Amino acid sequence: MTKDSKKKAGAAQDYGCPYASRRDLLFGLAGAGGAFALRSGGAFAKDAPVSEPQKKTERADETSGRQVADAPSGSGNTRDRVPFYGEHQAGVITPRPATGIVASFDVVARDPEDLEQMFRKLTDRIAFLTQGGKVPQLDPKLPPADSGVLGPVIEPDNLTITVGLGNSLFENRPWLKPHKPKQLVRMPEFPNDALDADRSHGDLSLQFSANLLDTNIHALRDIVKNLPEFLVMRWMQEGDVPVIPPKPDGKTESARNFLGFHDGSANPDSNDAELMEEVIWVDEKDDEPEWAYGGTYQAVRIIRNFVERWDRTPLREQERIIGRKKNNGAPLDGGDRESEVPDYAADPDGKLTPLDAHIRLANPRTEKTRENLMLRRPFNYSNGVTKSGQLDQGLLFIAYQADLDKGFVTVQRRLDGEPLEEYIKPVGGGFFYVLPGVPEPGDYLGRSLIEAASKTSDDKPT
Amino acid sequence: MSLTRILCALTFALLLGAGGAQAQSNQASLELVEPLAEYKLYVAEHTASLVEDTKEFVGAIKDGDVEKAKSLFAPTRRNYEKIEPIAELFADLDVSMDSRADDYEKGEADPNFGGFHRIEYVLWEKNTTEGLDKYADKLLADVIELDSRVSELTFPPEIVVGGAAVLMEEVAATKISGEEDRYSRTDLWDFEANFDGSRKIFELFKPLIDDEAFIAKVESNFADVYEVLADYQTEDGGFVSYEKLTDMDRRVLSAKVNTLAEELSTLRGRLGLG
Ligand code: HEM
Repeated sequence: MTKDSKKKAGAAQDYGCPYASRRDLLFGLAGAGGAFALRSGGAFAKDAPVSEPQKKTERADETSGRQVADAPSGSGNTRDRVPFYGEHQAGVITPRPATGIVASFDVVARDPEDLEQMFRKLTDRIAFLTQGGKVPQLDPKLPPADSGVLGPVIEPDNLTITVGLGNSLFENRPWLKPHKPKQLVRMPEFPNDALDADRSHGDLSLQFSANLLDTNIHALRDIVKNLPEFLVMRWMQEGDVPVIPPKPDGKTESARNFLGFHDGSANPDSNDAELMEEVIWVDEKDDEPEWAYGGTYQAVRIIRNFVERWDRTPLREQERIIGRKKNNGAPLDGGDRESEVPDYAADPDGKLTPLDAHIRLANPRTEKTRENLMLRRPFNYSNGVTKSGQLDQGLLFIAYQADLDKGFVTVQRRLDGEPLEEYIKPVGGGFFYVLPGVPEPGDYLGRSLIEAASKTSDDKPT
Repeated sequence: MSLTRILCALTFALLLGAGGAQAQSNQASLELVEPLAEYKLYVAEHTASLVEDTKEFVGAIKDGDVEKAKSLFAPTRRNYEKIEPIAELFADLDVSMDSRADDYEKGEADPNFGGFHRIEYVLWEKNTTEGLDKYADKLLADVIELDSRVSELTFPPEIVVGGAAVLMEEVAATKISGEEDRYSRTDLWDFEANFDGSRKIFELFKPLIDDEAFIAKVESNFADVYEVLADYQTEDGGFVSYEKLTDMDRRVLSAKVNTLAEELSTLRGRLGLG
């Protein structure tokens, strides 16, 4: 620990700021006070030492000490399996593997029975695809049951498929509308946005992530093939993040995005189950319909980066725009590690970290702005070339939070007009509500919603 | 063309193993003869009306009657769209009659872009018949050539049976979005004709399929697409502009077409035509 960061951690505690560095606390200041700070305060991803005993959650992978936005270690194996059954869907607080896809669909379902059938089929496919197994062999005169992209035996390859529902699914169906999650809206157009209708919104989102891109592609094709009567594809975006083996001391770093900066450094600690309950998972504390407990809001943004222009920008300016150092991800007010915590109180005029730096606007780290936390799980994308002959690259931004207004929407409103906007252009995405998990075999995704909806349609006077 | 003549020719072809039926027992092949012959009649009927209708269409173009030519465009094409499931049997004519501007690197500027869609382009985008004479003549020549070829054409069973699914694939891939009749917006006419053509094949071979659940599913999906289209039908049996199709209905059509493509893709295998 550097002298500097110790000072900061101390200072943070002095005025009750919850953003004390968890690592600093554990390494130096741990004790009753430290433990308290941990519970009530914000514990951030990079602050969690790998050695800390982890809280038990249902999924083994979530106790591995890896953070959601850590660079995948490259030790990934096609046999890696993320359990499907659980209180929450996988793929939200699950450490991000190397590749991801977000696909958006329109749903054809006229009544609760149709929708239930769709959810059951989707559940079957996801359970199979994420756990793996043999592909059934059919009469060779028939089209094969499976695309064959992964061969005759499907290896799970760390695959998760996370299902979210969009505003239009509810709005266009009177029997579903009363059950819409309170904050679910069609994603508004923010001032810097230039939304492309062909890459925006949708009734249902599927987030695929796996070690290998082909595993995602295989799963997507399987679902398209098996649910044609229910799902019409609108758009999809692929992405990936660089694989970086852990350092000799076991430490992992956040992956870098296409602006060349570490991305995910200040994510909330996804191994802190209580923190995840608070920040990510919807439950009694939230003003939401009961069926939605165990779910979360997903904000997807396809954000183009003007990389040629960025690469022609002086380094110092790049760092002041982001608010972190490019080579190591450390904050601008000291330290040399991305885990260091900036002390904005000591820099009220923005001499070290400009007041309009991306990270300072996104998270001013005050007592009040603690309620605006979210978990970011992005991928980088590269889509070829634009008409003007520039690279079409950017960030497939994906964020999860229990409160969409306080999370993504508030943070984006604070970021509106930030200097980074010169270099980025959001062109697509959507807001979705991630369904609660499937607790056990026999159950299905969306059951609580279907039960709620069937009740209303039965109650209706005929 | 008489049914008996076709039946004899087909039986002969099948028994000789022409048309890829080699692997099948003669018994199974023989079962296919009747529906194949019926299908050939269906095709011949439509190529014959295609010739008649095209003559009138071409006449209107030559008379310089833009409005009449426009009104005849969709009804004339309809004959062709119904037999499109087997277009691969006359691929050269298909390219000549029914290719789209996107099939040419220079698009509409390419003089080789001809056929129905060149005429459509000039009628609607330029609102004239000027310069269309040579394209109209060529279209009529192609149509007549097609009609005369049909009687001699071998109808391999796997192509006919497979055609039902192939056409749904085409609709799903490049028609549902309204790319086909982009100038005239008469796409819904084509949709109906395509569904008719695909369903005809299904209906003809249905008696040979021993799977009631499958049959019921396909029938209900066809019923659904006709139900959607019915909302857009005009009193004279035509259709309103593609632009009137709501997003919701386009989605339903898209889902049903993909489901039909998925289901009908098993038709060949179910009939033993690997
Ligand atoms: C292409 C667009 C974006 C790029 C390149 C970008 C890049 C970065 C980088 C490099 C960091 C610092 C490392 C870290 O803590 O992860 C960061 C932090 C952050 N970003 Fe972004 N970001 C983008 C869009 C967004 C959007 C749309 C939001 C939300 C509306 C957002 C919210 C945040 C938050 C909350 C932090 C953490 C701040 C902290 O707690 O210190 N970012 N971003």
